[in-house]
Amino acid sequence: MSVLIEKMRSSRKVLAAYHYVPALIERGYAGKTLYIDLTNKNIESKDVTRQMKDIFVGGKGFGLWYLWNAVTPDTKWNDPENEIIISPGPIAGITQYPGSGKSLLVTLSPLTDSVMDSNVGGFFGPYLKFSGWDALEIQGKADKDVVVFIDGDNGRVTIEEVDLDPSASHLLSEQLTELMAETEHDKKNISVVSTGSGAEHTRVGMLNFSFYDLRRKVARLKQAGRGGIGTVFRDKKLAALVVRFSGLSGKSNNPADPAAIARTGVKITREINKFDDTQFRMRQIGTANLMTPMNDYDLLPVHNFKYGSHKDAAGISSEVLRSRFTQKMPDGCWVGCALSCCKAVDNFVPKTGPFKGKKVTVDGPEYENAAGLGSNCGIFDADYVIEANFYCDTYGLDTISTGTIIAFIMECFENDILNETITGGLKLNFGNAEAAMELIHQMGQGRGFGKVAGQGVRRMKKIFAEEYGGDPAFLQDIGMENKGLEYSQYQAKESLAQQGGYALANKGPQHDEAWLIFMDMVNNQLPTFEKKAEALHYFPMFRTWFGLQGLCKLPWNDIIPESNAIADSPEKIPEHVQNYVDLFNAVTGKNIDKDEMIRQSERVYNFQRVFNLRMGFGTREHDAAPYRALGPVTEEEYESRQDRYDKQLKEDVGINPEGMSTDAKVAAMRKYRQGRYETLIDVVYKRRGWNENGVPTLGHLENLGIDFPEVVEVVKKHL
Amino acid sequence: MVIMVNGKQIEWEENLTIKSLLKKMNYTFPKIVVRVNGKVVEQKKWAEFKVPDQAEVQAHHLIAGG
Repeated sequence: MSVLIEKMRSSRKVLAAYHYVPALIERGYAGKTLYIDLTNKNIESKDVTRQMKDIFVGGKGFGLWYLWNAVTPDTKWNDPENEIIISPGPIAGITQYPGSGKSLLVTLSPLTDSVMDSNVGGFFGPYLKFSGWDALEIQGKADKDVVVFIDGDNGRVTIEEVDLDPSASHLLSEQLTELMAETEHDKKNISVVSTGSGAEHTRVGMLNFSFYDLRRKVARLKQAGRGGIGTVFRDKKLAALVVRFSGLSGKSNNPADPAAIARTGVKITREINKFDDTQFRMRQIGTANLMTPMNDYDLLPVHNFKYGSHKDAAGISSEVLRSRFTQKMPDGCWVGCALSCCKAVDNFVPKTGPFKGKKVTVDGPEYENAAGLGSNCGIFDADYVIEANFYCDTYGLDTISTGTIIAFIMECFENDILNETITGGLKLNFGNAEAAMELIHQMGQGRGFGKVAGQGVRRMKKIFAEEYGGDPAFLQDIGMENKGLEYSQYQAKESLAQQGGYALANKGPQHDEAWLIFMDMVNNQLPTFEKKAEALHYFPMFRTWFGLQGLCKLPWNDIIPESNAIADSPEKIPEHVQNYVDLFNAVTGKNIDKDEMIRQSERVYNFQRVFNLRMGFGTREHDAAPYRALGPVTEEEYESRQDRYDKQLKEDVGINPEGMSTDAKVAAMRKYRQGRYETLIDVVYKRRGWNENGVPTLGHLENLGIDFPEVVEVVKKHL
Repeated sequence: MVIMVNGKQIEWEENLTIKSLLKKMNYTFPKIVVRVNGKVVEQKKWAEFKVPDQAEVQAHHLIAGG
């Protein structure tokens, strides 16, 4: 390593440098944004305005505002005008409350051609802010690979050429950490943003944000996975972003009321210590704790979302994955996170690919990795899941999209739309781990059929229909994407509310807006369209708020306080909602309540909807869902849950299924379910203050205070 | 001889406890709040608490996803 690092060190060539006095953080804000134009190597400081803080708050809000001002309706994801904005938000960086180190990223997506946001842990966001910047705004394209180094200790930003290999993100993170740290101890003060070769060859490139693990002595990685932000990053010839900040303390955010933050933090940390082992075991298993219950409740995606459970699911159960995690102690991606859901498999030895036979540290697997790469592809082998997880991470491939892409390809292969001639010899049947792994390598290295797979499900549907004779209607039914983004890994067929939670989401079907399956399907708390619509208003708005602040959502509902047993709306976890109101007020010195909290989100959420409109999307037709997300597409699916579906036909639809062919029953069920989905959309739009085409009304925008002339101009065209 | 569980009609049986009801429903999730006729029943009492005929049971799974 040291020879390599010395070589990298001697190759450093500064192309542009900017010296600054780091702004003092005041009540969660630095008050400045770092703007970098890679084309002209221009580095500037911008003021964060009062209006930005009042309307957009921070995080995703800042990202959307900067991107709105940077692009036009004609801008494409790979135009130099497109930006990547990274912003942590005002609460981000506190160390007393769990889950307070998130960064939010915004860009135009190569998958959706519209606005994308993604959130990620790791140290970069807080260190960026404490280096004096509320946001990093990157525009333009370099002509050669560059590294941007933000030295918050010395007030210096540089754009540099460095002799490096950007193909493997885990190595690049290690190397740049070593290169930029002044001592071994200084490594914890470094955070690297990077991706791998997969981001150059696919539209599903993601970004790894590092945090240095002093116990393991490795740079660990968290992923900004969704929507191809890594692809944009490499298109700009960015090899990496590096931040260095060494002055972290419990008061770095300079909050208005540190005692209130400490009180709130102590309260929830006690809850976690008391209850986590008997609730979700986030400290032991992380989000992989969901694998077993999802299978038990028929919600684990299996075979491209055909089914919700599988007889072999025990092979990748929560306990099996737990047994593979090493260094069995709490492990967080930001300082002070008592929930500590990060998990890793140390000394893992891949059996394939460029790291075959070498020991590596794998971050994860998390639930989405195991469900997407594993069960959804019919692969129930923990070793495969861990290796696929590792390679997706180091190639810079979004595990969620990759899982859904491979599952879609497998179903097409089994339906003879694809064959070995097309796939270059890969027998991509469900369950073929060897072929799936090779496909991941091909995606990561830009080879063979991987080049097609890397285009994503939406573009593959078109290719498979036009070039391979696939039935476009069938491909549309089974291609699990909406707005161009691949579905995340929950089976939503039996929850109408979650069907809306997915397909009505601003960026596409990611569950971070709403996850209502249990409330709807199991608890039956949303029996009417109006109740579903209310949930599809409240939860997306509430969850948006985390993205404005730089917060992780997990400490909200993956630990349940005692008070919840007698709470009026236990699904909202009212005590924790109040914690967040208290935290915001304690950091910023403002005085919001839980209603204003929702309004903060509504402003940004509706602005994002209008931004979609501006880019040529954002209307009802773009909220349509593939039928696989709503109900059984094939006779095989129907017959696998025949009792359930027959009962629904009889009791809910009013059709006696006796004597009907399966084909006829599938058709009757489809008509019923699609009708209900359309009704749901009507009711949700109304609740959200939108017209029947999904366009926010002018009155609603005015009420929210975002009726800026340029916003009104966009909306008027659709009214 | 029926009870309502999360709005669905379920056949009642003699000596039906909350523990056996959850097993019957295949409700394996670790964090469920159970109310019987509007009153919360603590988890430590689930093994002996007898669910009466005609009862309205809410078994709310406290999970809101990833």
